[in-house]
Formats: sequence, structure tokens, C-alpha cells
Amino acid sequence: MTITRSTSHSRRRTLVHPGKFNPVRIQSLYSDTARHVRLALMPGLSLFDGLVGPLAEIGIHNASTTILGGAFDSIHYCVAPPDPTRQAVIAYGDPIDAGRSYMIFGNATLGRDADRKPLVHCHAAFRREDGRVKGGHILTERCIVGPEPVCVLVTSLDNFELRLAFDPETNILLLQPFEERDHD
Amino acid sequence: MTEMTSVTNGTMGRVAYARIAPNEDLVIGVEKLCLAHGFRNAFVRGALGSLVDACLGANDDKFIEVKGPAVEIVSLAGEVRSDEDGAIKAALSGVVADPQGEIYGGLFVAGSNAICMTLEVTLEEWLPAGD
Repeated sequence: MTITRSTSHSRRRTLVHPGKFNPVRIQSLYSDTARHVRLALMPGLSLFDGLVGPLAEIGIHNASTTILGGAFDSIHYCVAPPDPTRQAVIAYGDPIDAGRSYMIFGNATLGRDADRKPLVHCHAAFRREDGRVKGGHILTERCIVGPEPVCVLVTSLDNFELRLAFDPETNILLLQPFEERDHD
Repeated sequence: MTEMTSVTNGTMGRVAYARIAPNEDLVIGVEKLCLAHGFRNAFVRGALGSLVDACLGANDDKFIEVKGPAVEIVSLAGEVRSDEDGAIKAALSGVVADPQGEIYGGLFVAGSNAICMTLEVTLEEWLPAGD
């Protein structure tokens, strides 16, 4: 059963990951200030291109963004059940085509992949045409903005960079903050 | 008697980004992030990640437990505030998706939402006027 509703709750579970426990539990960096940008994702573009291109033009390569909602011609997403290979605790499943959908709310982190190319990590909730409300990990390059621009609030992260890097504890690649400056 | 005000003026300060590791608690992890950077008050500017299971407060003093792993955090909003005694307290609410993509929402119960793989969170420091 996926959901239970009661006046008490279970003790939380502590999962055992495949790699060695890292005693550093919070990896964090800060900037003295941030730039805030209102970005409009333009119709017909992928969510990825609509975010990455305009922000790169104004020198933003690392950011935390909030997608304030809007119609998409298509949304593709996946969920994360337990990894059958047990190489990690969970693994993303196959892509799911939600079709034409309304994105209710989303958060997307902009950073770099291991080859320093732009990367967008996005989770969102959306309502499909059949009325069902779903959520998960959004495949941003396969999501196409609908007929109207979709508003995004961008908070730039200017004095450090986010980069996809291998995390030995979980045995997967994860976005992590690094001190190196972006020289692009 | 505590003075009640509906408007607090202030400015935004520093911005911190963190990756919080598995099995740490979502709510307490955000509080510890504030401790790490000396933030006394802050707003969540963005967050996504996954939980082992989710535990959310319901309207009727009950709890909604969403079974994972993983339960994806698809929306997170909230703030961290300093109490009169100086202790800091995060209040975070949001929407999660279970391993079938079904979604649920509510207040995250402190101490009962273990991070599954990672939490990416951005906090913006809030500097109330007069502090």
C-alpha cells in the first residue's frame, strides 16, 4: 500500500547504500548575493532549451529555478523505484509520455554535467489531459512548451558551480557544489 | 505577550546551495544548513530530491505516510525562523510523488522524512529590518 493515514506515524527508515558512508552530510556553498531573473520559456522550445539558452546569454550557468506553471504540448517524466540490479538503492525507470499536460509547479536546478555541458535537473507536478495529477523526474529535453510562454523565477548561483559528480556512497552521479569558478 | 504583526520588512541576504546526503532528515537538514552558514532566518528558493518515505501532516491532526523508496520531492516551499530563545525552526510544506507518480501534499513532519539519494536545496537569507 502506498499511502496510509493515521493519528500516529511509523519510525523513519534508514536505508543502507552500496558505498562507504561519507561523514560529510551537507555539502554547501554560498554567495553574498544572487541575481533574480523572471524568465519566460518560449512556445515550441523544449524546457531544457528554454531555460539554458536565455540564461547562458546573460551569464547564468548555475541557478535554482521555480517553474510557476503553464501548458506544455508534451511532458515526459520518470519515477524512481528500487533498482533491480541493486547497484544503487533506486534507479530511474523508463520514460513515461504524459502527453499534453499543464505543469502545475516545478523546481529545476541548472548546473553542468561531467563534461561541463549544461544540465537541468527538474522535478514537477502536472495535470494530464485526462485530469490525473502526476509528478516525478522531468525529462526536460523531451518537454515542449505549449502555445503561451511559461514563467520561471530564477535565482542565480554566481560564485560557485554545480557539477554532476560521482557520489561513492550512493553509487550514482549527483549534482554537487564546487568552488571552481566558471570561466565561460 | 507576543506582539502580532502581519507585515515584516526586511531584505534578502546571502544565498546558500546544499546537497544534503541520504538518511539525513529533510526538515532538520535544512535547519543544519542554516547553522552551517549562520543564517538566522531564510526562505527556500528551490529544492528537489527524494525521500525514503514521506510523512506529511494532514488537516485533521493525522499523518499521511507515502511509501517509497523513492518518494520524489516535486515542490518544496517554506522558511526558517529564529524563535525568541534563538533556536531556529524550519517549516516546510510541499508536494511529493510516490514510485507510481501519484502525488500527495502537506507539511513535512520534522524527523520523519529521511532523504533517499540527495536533496538539492537553495536557501536565501532573510534579514528582517531592525535585527
